[in-house]
Amino acid sequence: MALSTPRLLVRFLGGRNLLYGGAPFPSEQTPGDSKTRNEETDKVMSSGDSNPAATPTPCVDIQGDGRWMSLHNHFVSNSKDKEPDVLFVGDSLVQLLHQFEVWRELFSPLHALNFGVGGDETQHVLWRLSNGELAHISPKVVVLWVGTHNHSHTAEQICGGIMAIVQLIKDKLPKAYTLVLGVLPRGKMPNPLRERNAQVNKLVKDAVSSLPHASLLNVDPGFVHSDGSISHQDLYDFLHLTPQGYQAVCQPLHAHLKGLLEKQAEN
Amino acid sequence: MSGDEINPAAVAQAVEDVQGDDRWMSQIWRELFSPLHALNFGIGGDTTCNVLWRLQNGELDNIRPKVTVVWVGTNNHEHSAEQVAGGILAIAQLLTSRLPKTKVVVLGLLARGDGPNPLREKNAAVNGFLRSWLPRLGQAQFLDVGAGFVHSDGTISTRDMFDFLHLTAAGYRAIAKPLSDLLLQILDETPEEKRASLV
Repeated sequence: MALSTPRLLVRFLGGRNLLYGGAPFPSEQTPGDSKTRNEETDKVMSSGDSNPAATPTPCVDIQGDGRWMSLHNHFVSNSKDKEPDVLFVGDSLVQLLHQFEVWRELFSPLHALNFGVGGDETQHVLWRLSNGELAHISPKVVVLWVGTHNHSHTAEQICGGIMAIVQLIKDKLPKAYTLVLGVLPRGKMPNPLRERNAQVNKLVKDAVSSLPHASLLNVDPGFVHSDGSISHQDLYDFLHLTPQGYQAVCQPLHAHLKGLLEKQAEN
Repeated sequence: MSGDEINPAAVAQAVEDVQGDDRWMSQIWRELFSPLHALNFGIGGDTTCNVLWRLQNGELDNIRPKVTVVWVGTNNHEHSAEQVAGGILAIAQLLTSRLPKTKVVVLGLLARGDGPNPLREKNAAVNGFLRSWLPRLGQAQFLDVGAGFVHSDGTISTRDMFDFLHLTAAGYRAIAKPLSDLLLQILDETPEEKRASLV
């Protein structure tokens, strides 16, 4: 199956199609093709111009209890009798959201499903969505929150990974709207990851600006104070949200989602 | 463990900041048992080595807890069960030497993973070592809070561990009861004159 590269995206990036993924999306991937989070990415790339952040890649079990694949299988089978209007997918920030009271307050009433996996990078989410997690459901809106864990990739590559997911969702769920959430700042004080995440958000915002089926929502309510610090009362480990942090993020997100769902209903 | 070998799980080691944002070096805490006036010095991903380093590098300097609850070992992927148990024992020994009046409660490692797997066996083996070694330290005891998480078909439910490792609110409720019962019992046994001298 060939991957169509949006010409607009290629032009914007100066013709570099390498950021949109060079590999087709196989419906199955053998364990030999997959890699761990910690390996160098070049081993899997057959061509010189593909983006590892945009190449579907499962997590190989390096700890010994196969939890990543267990969770993926759980999501696939769990979706068979559900009819969610909203699907949340991404990394730990999505996964942990499901554990807090705010999920029941704001998102269960919207008939939402949660496919977050801690530690996931863009290429892992891409693999999961390509391998069954979208097979049995037709949500009206997909909320995508991923990118902060892509430690070996540049901002451009991470943007390419996010856009590859946006494209995949469009292919599999032609009527769905994808709401990409901006990656949050992290770390107690200013550091390179904050700059990288801000750059990812800027690139993604530009990339989706021409798409009718996707947009970027900045959900940072102002976590960085005037002295550059982030409070552990918002991000308890300067990465993950406290209940207070989730409330600040989710209230505007919820309002935005409701608006989107109403618009979808009108169309 | 023979006295001549160094147990790598008992070597204090700070976490190198490999991700670039320094978050591990900044302190994490959340209150679990606030009515007992508790502090939480847990850090996700920590091994016995990391906990040892933290306790040796400031975290015990300004406090005199009556009870210390230690829960670590499931992330020691590079170490054998015996080494992990040795690392936990080293932590208990450090606590009793730095805080002579503290009681140490070591929580057993939980089962993990969707179905039976080598890490469950390893964690159970760690618990086995701790059960026999900890009583030799007069002030330390072992508490197993893992009963009931593994069902008769060998599975763990995501209702208890949302990723087959970390506890949900329901999972935490299940372990909190036996733990807080034990803590209340220990605190009750602490003589009045000792309490007055504690910071």
